[in-house]
Amino acid sequence: MADKDEDAIRGTSVEATQIETDLSDETQDFRLLNHLNFLTDTASSSLPKRGEKDFEPNPTEFQADVLSASRQAMHNALAHPRLHNPNTQVIGIYAPEGPAPPPGVNLEDVSKFGGKGLNLHPDACVCVPIPKGQYFKTMGQADRWNRIWLLPEEALFLVERGSLDIRWPTEITGAADGEDAEELSIPMSLQAAYACFIGRGGLTLERYTVFTGLRRTGYAALRAPGWDDTQAESSMDRNQEHVFRYPQRRGAGLVGVLSQVFNWVRDPFCTASTTAGPAVGCGMHRNYVDVYRRLAMIPWYDPSLAAERDPLDTMPPFRVVFHIFKPSTPIKKTALPPPDFRIAVVNTRETTSIPTLEQIGTLLESTPLDPPRGEKMQRMLYMRLRNGYRNVILAVVDQGIVSYLRLADAAFGKEKLYETQAPSSASKRNGNYRNKKR
Amino acid sequence: MAEVTSPAKASPAVGPEKANTRPARGSRPPRPNYKHIHRFPFPLNVQPVLLPPVIPHNPVSIISAVLSYLTFLISPPSQEIYSAYFDPATSSIHVTDERAIRALWERGFFGKGNLSRSEPSWLEREKKRRGLLGGQSSEEVTRKRRAERRELKLERARSERLLIEERLKVEAAARESGRATPSTDGVADATAITIEKFSVKKAMDAKYRESREARLRTAQNGEPVPAPDASSSANGKSVRFSSVAEEKEVTSTSTIPLQDSSSTYGDDVDADDIFENQEHLQISNEEAFFLVYGLGVLRVFDREQSSAIPASSLLPLLRRHSYFPPNDDSAKLEPDDPFMLSYVVYHHFRSLGWVVRSGVKFGTDYLLYNRGPVFSHAEFAVIIVPSYTHSYWSQTEKLKEYAAAKQARSWWWLHCVNRVQAQVKKSLVICYVEVPPPVDSSQDIGTLLGQYRVREFLLRRWIPNRTRD
Repeated sequence: MADKDEDAIRGTSVEATQIETDLSDETQDFRLLNHLNFLTDTASSSLPKRGEKDFEPNPTEFQADVLSASRQAMHNALAHPRLHNPNTQVIGIYAPEGPAPPPGVNLEDVSKFGGKGLNLHPDACVCVPIPKGQYFKTMGQADRWNRIWLLPEEALFLVERGSLDIRWPTEITGAADGEDAEELSIPMSLQAAYACFIGRGGLTLERYTVFTGLRRTGYAALRAPGWDDTQAESSMDRNQEHVFRYPQRRGAGLVGVLSQVFNWVRDPFCTASTTAGPAVGCGMHRNYVDVYRRLAMIPWYDPSLAAERDPLDTMPPFRVVFHIFKPSTPIKKTALPPPDFRIAVVNTRETTSIPTLEQIGTLLESTPLDPPRGEKMQRMLYMRLRNGYRNVILAVVDQGIVSYLRLADAAFGKEKLYETQAPSSASKRNGNYRNKKR
Repeated sequence: MAEVTSPAKASPAVGPEKANTRPARGSRPPRPNYKHIHRFPFPLNVQPVLLPPVIPHNPVSIISAVLSYLTFLISPPSQEIYSAYFDPATSSIHVTDERAIRALWERGFFGKGNLSRSEPSWLEREKKRRGLLGGQSSEEVTRKRRAERRELKLERARSERLLIEERLKVEAAARESGRATPSTDGVADATAITIEKFSVKKAMDAKYRESREARLRTAQNGEPVPAPDASSSANGKSVRFSSVAEEKEVTSTSTIPLQDSSSTYGDDVDADDIFENQEHLQISNEEAFFLVYGLGVLRVFDREQSSAIPASSLLPLLRRHSYFPPNDDSAKLEPDDPFMLSYVVYHHFRSLGWVVRSGVKFGTDYLLYNRGPVFSHAEFAVIIVPSYTHSYWSQTEKLKEYAAAKQARSWWWLHCVNRVQAQVKKSLVICYVEVPPPVDSSQDIGTLLGQYRVREFLLRRWIPNRTRD
């Protein structure tokens, strides 16, 4: 039996290790890059295994050779020429004034034709007249002329990747008009792109860092309704009294009276007193469950009772700004599936303290209820508690370094541990081990 | 080198042959029956109703039922009340009575021996040290294991040094003979060396397995024994506490030969008189108040006045003593006294059935054990953060500033705590306690506690690489 306990410990520890092992914490053996065939064959998708590293330098030539071989392998990988095929080149045009109809069409004409005008995000500022490639599946918005409009972070991400070539608009550069406008327009440098896009439409450097980091990892990231910090919070009732479970001293109505009578018969000289103690009363107790019930005195928050808040009814920066989709989630831009993760971005240099209960509470209440479901969760107490009832991810950015924290509403009060560990059954069958893991 | 690695290499081969015998313990004595020792969650006596069955058409049965009920009314079985004393100089509460110490530890894991790691076992250890008892205490086991580990680490360092020297020699020889050094690009070459690397963990495992096999062999009169399940000796320390019961089992089954102690063992009773127990149980202030106010099984005495302190005056006393130096009697009690916050959280988790113990070793306020520390490691570590959500705290600028200062915690601190918990494989729980506005000194403790509200959040690192699928 004791062994079972140990196994249980080990089981959880293995699980925890898996959660906590960060691939990026491992050392890389760059020599393995030489064996990669991505340089020639793009179809192969297997990544190299990581190597092991020595703790300190030693005078062996072997170590020096390994080191130089690694270095050389890295240089080889970096020196591989990256080609931009002119056929796949995507050109975007910077629109500092925001979305506008193509030259030659003016808005009045559009409305005359019965169109709804430009139904585009007002922050969109790069127009791609001829969209090509896979990126536009999860990025940008198309207008009625089949042009794609990109948001600043999307444009900057593509420029940084080398997948997009942004041109200055001819209005600014004053270049020749006419048919060869595109030929003569001036390309925008990466520096200029940063200068133009960071700070535009609420895009802070921190948000961009989170966006680009997750995009590179393979996720799709889209702006959430809470993006705009300046939008005033609606004055919803902050003090949600009803979401707290107050321990019930006595039930209402007939049931309450009857249970009181019953309690009296069982314990006629009731000495229980919450005023000066002892809270459970002196004398004999029938069972420990009653003792625990009498001890319940502290009100606790029940997440399943809380109503969902409006995303704008939160306190920036503790507000969901990105909806994150796993690479496996199929995304249709017109009908988005529910996001896999919700992310709030915090700058440690501006918000120096961890969130207060009000900030964190409103943030979590603005996400939908996601209670632990499934057979495994039903069985595993710890898993259930760890999953929580609502969850959100905080991206804490400290000068460009992002650490993600998953916050979940754990309702410890909903798990009455004492009910699952009745001592009488413990001495008999293996009982408690199973109960414990519940 | 070769001797060390060979058992480690052999281990995977041994593993698959799962033993159908019960996995034997290592060379350690059998574990005491913790399930029995710690079968009660609280130092409270509980008796189910033992009324004889009532059969409606049999008046005798009704009479007997009523009689037994009346007996219960007239002479209810009594509950023992333990005593402790409060020491104002150190703001701590001590239990010195032997029976009380055992009861408080065994039923609910309250307190800590002042000369022990947690369970008060000093007397035990001292007796063993003087050779009066057989077996080993948990502290000794730990010490021995640490020494073993250090030994193995030294061995590892030695073997690594040897490896480097050998390589240097080979390289020198190669240089003299003019041959080119072996290619280092080959990954296989590198992996061959990493396999040879000394693993302390594997060596420890191998050592355990060896000793167990030897034990089994002797137990079964030299018969060949199937290799035991490798997993039962695998990584991770198991929770072990020594106790009286452990010793009794050890001596009765006599799995360990008691050479030197067997002669003196008969004098055990006399030995008790020779030296008295120098150890006492120290219970934290929250535990003490819970035992006094919540369960009513403890009386705390003032050392000077030698009178029991009632719960109504114990609470203000402990609240004043939650500051350093303690506030004097005239000072106003604040609703966010550290004691109030920590007690609310303590009471909350205790009332749900968790065994709550201090988490100071892991940089947190509390650790939550399921059933108790002898059964499993704590899964949750709790940190307490006060919250000033009530509208009272935003009335004036001064109050706002005060609340902001009290709530402030840096991100660095949070990450620090979080990473430590991940390292020790615990889940971090941030427990916010809503502080009510100050009230006039009310004597009703229940109402006072009911004004605080708790909300728990689980925090853990999110690693995008892991959740991508």
